[in-house]
Amino acid sequence: MASTADPERKEEEEAAAGEEEDTGAHVAPIVRLEEVAISTGEEDEEVILDLKAKLYRFDKDGNQWKERGAGTVKLLKHKETAKVRLVMRQSKTLKICANHLVIPTMSVQEHAGNDKSCVWHAADFADGELKDELFCIRFQSVENCKNFMETMQEVAESQQKKEESKDASDTAGLIEKLSVEDKKSEEKTKEEDTVADKEEKVAESEKKVEEPASST
Amino acid sequence: MALPNQQTVEYPSFKLVIVGDGGTGKTTFVKRHLTGEFEKKYEPTIGVEVHPLDFSTNCGKIRFYCWDTAGQEKFGGLRDGYYIHGQCAIIMFDVTARLTYKNVPTWHRDLCRVCENIPIVLCGNKVDVKNRQVKAKQVTFHRKKNLQYYEISAKSNYNFEKPFLYLARKLAGDANLHFVEAIALAPPEVHIDIAAQQLHEQELVAAASQPLPDDDDDAFE
Repeated sequence: MASTADPERKEEEEAAAGEEEDTGAHVAPIVRLEEVAISTGEEDEEVILDLKAKLYRFDKDGNQWKERGAGTVKLLKHKETAKVRLVMRQSKTLKICANHLVIPTMSVQEHAGNDKSCVWHAADFADGELKDELFCIRFQSVENCKNFMETMQEVAESQQKKEESKDASDTAGLIEKLSVEDKKSEEKTKEEDTVADKEEKVAESEKKVEEPASST
Repeated sequence: MALPNQQTVEYPSFKLVIVGDGGTGKTTFVKRHLTGEFEKKYEPTIGVEVHPLDFSTNCGKIRFYCWDTAGQEKFGGLRDGYYIHGQCAIIMFDVTARLTYKNVPTWHRDLCRVCENIPIVLCGNKVDVKNRQVKAKQVTFHRKKNLQYYEISAKSNYNFEKPFLYLARKLAGDANLHFVEAIALAPPEVHIDIAAQQLHEQELVAAASQPLPDDDDDAFE
C-alpha cells in the first residue's frame, strides 16, 4: 500500500498518525486466551523461491478470474522427501491462499496479454481439502514472472526424474520380493515334505503300537 | 454465537454484527476476507447472511461469525433479532457518500439498544476513491461515543485486517494479540490420469485468454 501513488495518501497518512490510538470504550474481555506454540507447517522445508504476488482463481461458472489473495508466494522443498510445494499467504492476515505440490505433470503457461502473469492447474489443498483449481498469478515485474515460470518448470522436471528413479527402485524392490517369495515357497514345500514324512512315521509307529493290541 | 445449523468449533468464537447503510461495502468486505475476491457488482443483502471467518493468532485460532446484515431499510426486517447476543460490531459507512456517515448515529443507537458494552469499530470504507465526500478529519463520531475508527478500502485491502485485529484484542483483553501464519499442512499426493490432465489443459487454454479483473493496479497489499 505504501508504494501506491494515491492523491489521498497524504490524508491517509495524516489519519494513520492518530489511528493507532485507541479511542474505544473500556470493555471487559469475554475470553482469556493463552499464548500457544506456533507452527507454520513449513519448518522442515527450504525456501527456493519467495516473491510478492497477487493470486487469482478461475471461476468456471462466471468464466472469469477472481482474486484469491495478495501476499507472498513461496516454493518450498522438503529437506527429507525433496518434494516441492507452492504455498501462498495473504499479507497481514497470513492466511493460506494456495498450498499444493508441484508435480511432474504440472505446466505453467503464459497468460495472454500480460507478461507479468502466468497460469497453471493444481489440485489445491489451501482449505484442507483437495480442489481442482486454475490459478493465475501476477507479479510486480516481468522478470519475477519469468523467474517463477522457469523455477516451476525446473521443479516439475526434477520431480519427474525423482519419480522415475523411484519407479525404478520400486520395480527392483518388487523383483527382489518375488525372488524371495519363490525361495520361501520352495522352503515351504520342503517343510511340508518333512512334515509329511514325520506324519507317516508317526502313523507307522502308531500302527506298531496298535498291532500288539490287536493281536490279543 | 453459532447458528443451530452451523458447525461449532472447539476454539473461541464470537458473534460479530456488521451494520451500516446499503452500498457501503459490508458484503464486499466480508467476501474479501472469505475468498479473497473483490465483488464490484452491487447486490443488496436481503435480511442477513452469516459467515464464519477464522484467524490464526499467537493465542490460537479464533472465529468470528460475521452477521452481514441488510443495509437497505426495505430489505432489513427483524433487526433486533440480528443484534441479539452480538459480542462485537462493525459500523460501516462510505467516505464517498456523506449521507452514509450521517446515518452512523442511528445505526449506533439501534445496536447499543440491544448490545450494551461491546467493542465497536467504525469503518470508513472506499478510501481508495479519489473524490471523497467525508475527509478523515471530519470523522468525529467515534470520539464522542468511544468507538475505534479505521479508514479502510475493501478494494485495495488498505487496513482491511485492522477491524478484526482490534476486536480480537478487546475480546481477549490482550493488546499484544497478533495474527500469525496459519499452519500449512502437507498436501496429499495426487495422481492425475491422462484424460483428466487433457481436460485441465483445455480449460487452462480457455482461461488464459481471459483478462484479470484488476490488471491496472500494481499494489500488492
